[in-house]
Amino acid sequence: MSEMILLGDEAIARGAIDAGISAAFAYPGTPSTEIYQTIADYAKAHELPVRGMWSTNEKVALEEGVGVSYAGRRAVVSMKHVGLNVAADPFMNAAVSGAHGGLVLVVADDPSMHSSQNEQDSRYFADFAMVPCLEPANQQECYDFMREAFDLSEQFQVPVLVRLVTRLAHSRSLVKMHKRREPNEARFVADPTRFILLPVNARRAFANLVDKQKTLQTYAESHPVNALMLRESNRPGILVSGLAWNYLQEALGEKLADYNVLRVGCYPLPVQKIRLLMDASSEIWVIEEGYPFIERYISALGLMRELPIRGKLTGDLPRTGELSQDDIKTCFGVPILPSLAIPGLNSVLVGRPPSLCDKCPHTDSYEAINEVIAEFEPGARVMGDIGCYTLGAVSPLQGIHSCLCMGASIGMAIGVVHAGMQRSLCVIGDGTFSHSGLVPMLDAARDNTNIKVFILDNSIIAMTGGQPTAASDEQVVDLVAGLGVPREHIRIVVPSPHKKEDTKATIREELAYVGLSVIIARRACVTYAKEIKDIKETREQMRQIKVVAA
Amino acid sequence: MKYDLVVCGVGGQGVLTMAGVIDHAIHAAGLFLKQSEVHGMAQRGGAVSAFVRISDQAVASDLIAQGSASMVLSVEPMEALRYSQQLHPEGWIVTDITPMVNVANYPALDALYQVLFSVPRLVALDASRLAARAGSVKVQNIVVLGAAAMHLPFEAKLIEQQLERLFHRKGERIVKANINAFRMGDAASRFAAALVAAGVAARVVACVVTRIAFTPEPVGEKLVAAWCKRLLRPDALALAERLFASEDDVAPDAVPAD
Repeated sequence: MSEMILLGDEAIARGAIDAGISAAFAYPGTPSTEIYQTIADYAKAHELPVRGMWSTNEKVALEEGVGVSYAGRRAVVSMKHVGLNVAADPFMNAAVSGAHGGLVLVVADDPSMHSSQNEQDSRYFADFAMVPCLEPANQQECYDFMREAFDLSEQFQVPVLVRLVTRLAHSRSLVKMHKRREPNEARFVADPTRFILLPVNARRAFANLVDKQKTLQTYAESHPVNALMLRESNRPGILVSGLAWNYLQEALGEKLADYNVLRVGCYPLPVQKIRLLMDASSEIWVIEEGYPFIERYISALGLMRELPIRGKLTGDLPRTGELSQDDIKTCFGVPILPSLAIPGLNSVLVGRPPSLCDKCPHTDSYEAINEVIAEFEPGARVMGDIGCYTLGAVSPLQGIHSCLCMGASIGMAIGVVHAGMQRSLCVIGDGTFSHSGLVPMLDAARDNTNIKVFILDNSIIAMTGGQPTAASDEQVVDLVAGLGVPREHIRIVVPSPHKKEDTKATIREELAYVGLSVIIARRACVTYAKEIKDIKETREQMRQIKVVAA
Repeated sequence: MKYDLVVCGVGGQGVLTMAGVIDHAIHAAGLFLKQSEVHGMAQRGGAVSAFVRISDQAVASDLIAQGSASMVLSVEPMEALRYSQQLHPEGWIVTDITPMVNVANYPALDALYQVLFSVPRLVALDASRLAARAGSVKVQNIVVLGAAAMHLPFEAKLIEQQLERLFHRKGERIVKANINAFRMGDAASRFAAALVAAGVAARVVACVVTRIAFTPEPVGEKLVAAWCKRLLRPDALALAERLFASEDDVAPDAVPAD
């Protein structure tokens, strides 16, 4: 047994490796990025037979994981919470088809939206798909639950979802680790119809999934993490899950012994234990990180009159944002400690939001676009997308006027044209374009929609720390051309102060043209210059190996 | 025993490196730790923080409750003020005074220092200048780390061991710059603590400590006593403000005459 100080994400990664995975797939997204990064780095450093990649997007990542599972081996797939929206289709259906080799999906939620556009709670997805969900509360559980998740997946032949939240993914503590289990052998199932979700098979598979719920329920009831601590009857009870358990212990300290407590970390919900807690308690407090998932269930949306049930729905705890021990103290009437008062503090303390780096190519792109728009149609809107360049929304650039989800900029721009607006522009990075910009671009090309798509190609996924993009440079040009955009309206500009006038001239020409234009603003990210060089060298080596092999 | 610490600064200043060094020193001391940190968007020049929690028992929460941190350790003077809600009324602020001005509405420096220097338990130091003297401007964060050492609930040498472990691959020169930086910060912090204990006013301490060119050796007892004596005189504030305004290095043994 070895021990190490690990981030929650790193503990998940090491847990997956030691559980005997054969492959890992992911798309980067805060706070999940370090999971795959750690797996790839560790496997390379120790020459382990673990394959996988940064996939093109989360849907593809999960489909790759499903393929590994169908072939009998273990795979881990990791993403941030909104990534599961992209992967929802394979996720819901893999639950029906079931797994063969262990298939574990790790999803990192972001309560308080530290680096996200919403704070959706992935426990709903597990519930929706009827698959088990494990919710670790500390780094050791992150490690231990991964082994268990794979065992669970293979025992019940279902995918398993492991839910993290930012404060666990990005928090460190000591983790004790075991010896690595060897990966299992690749072997197909005897009857492939199990994995052919034609209605005739899907009906059978779905009935099978429904049947599994009873045994999954029994599993959750007896899971040690779902620990019921009954004191005496008619005491107030607390139902607490995930990371909220950490905050609760500190907020109440020894006073916790005055309450009946049920901790939940394994789903489906252990309904018998909840029943016992409710029978023994005068009222129930539900404390959970994320949405009021458990509270809604057990209070029937507040319709249940049997017992007072308090939590986020009743306003006793904040409905939005992440929890803290102070929120729980307030809820239970425990005084908040006084802190150092510094006179005049507010007059000298200002916010320091993230911003584009010094000499960032995106700044030059936005300046050129803004200046040309000012000539043509002041007030024209630019549909935005997700990446570092979303920071172009803030002053002084204020270069985008929407940001919805990955790849949405092109579709939204098409919509603006259909609404009858005169100009429609959008910006999308090379990473986001390969993630989910190709398909909407096909719509625009098919129709020659009068939109101006700026692909801000900086050769890297920079926002999450420098992961490779699926396509950059000439590959982007070829992809755009392949989708049906005429070569003469695929323009390449260099976003730099030196080339600004050239860039503006190109933008003017394309704005004057009625039809689909793609303007590729190509200059490598200044922050990840070294990573870009390494990625390009690796790609070139791979290409040469292929040439030799051919 | 419980000790909560906020480490903070701006993306790119080495805040997470400092937290990592502290984490490993805590573990080497046989104590429990939990440390949460900010990743992602904040790293693009935004405010970055790490919450380090130390205890002789397992730590539950990843966050620090209001009013319970013993120290805010900052690489930047405005960031040093951002986490006062976490700080215990008798907690320390240990910070570099070198501003990182990457926002348009950054406060006027005079006003910022006026507020910062009113903090009763404060170690304010010019870590950037000391880092250059230690051998590399890059070790600014390690100077600040050194200034925290005497207040942390484990031996400073455990941190030095971590610095050696972390930097030994980069060669002897880098290791030495880091150790020197760490010891300069420690010397500054011990000096400041002695002045505070002697009853020297917070603003006077801050103005003087930020200008002294500390060496990796602690300031000798006799010199500390001489400084205390000098800075308890009625004109101490005027003297201190003069030293601060001059921006010149003051040698530790150059106790100003009456």
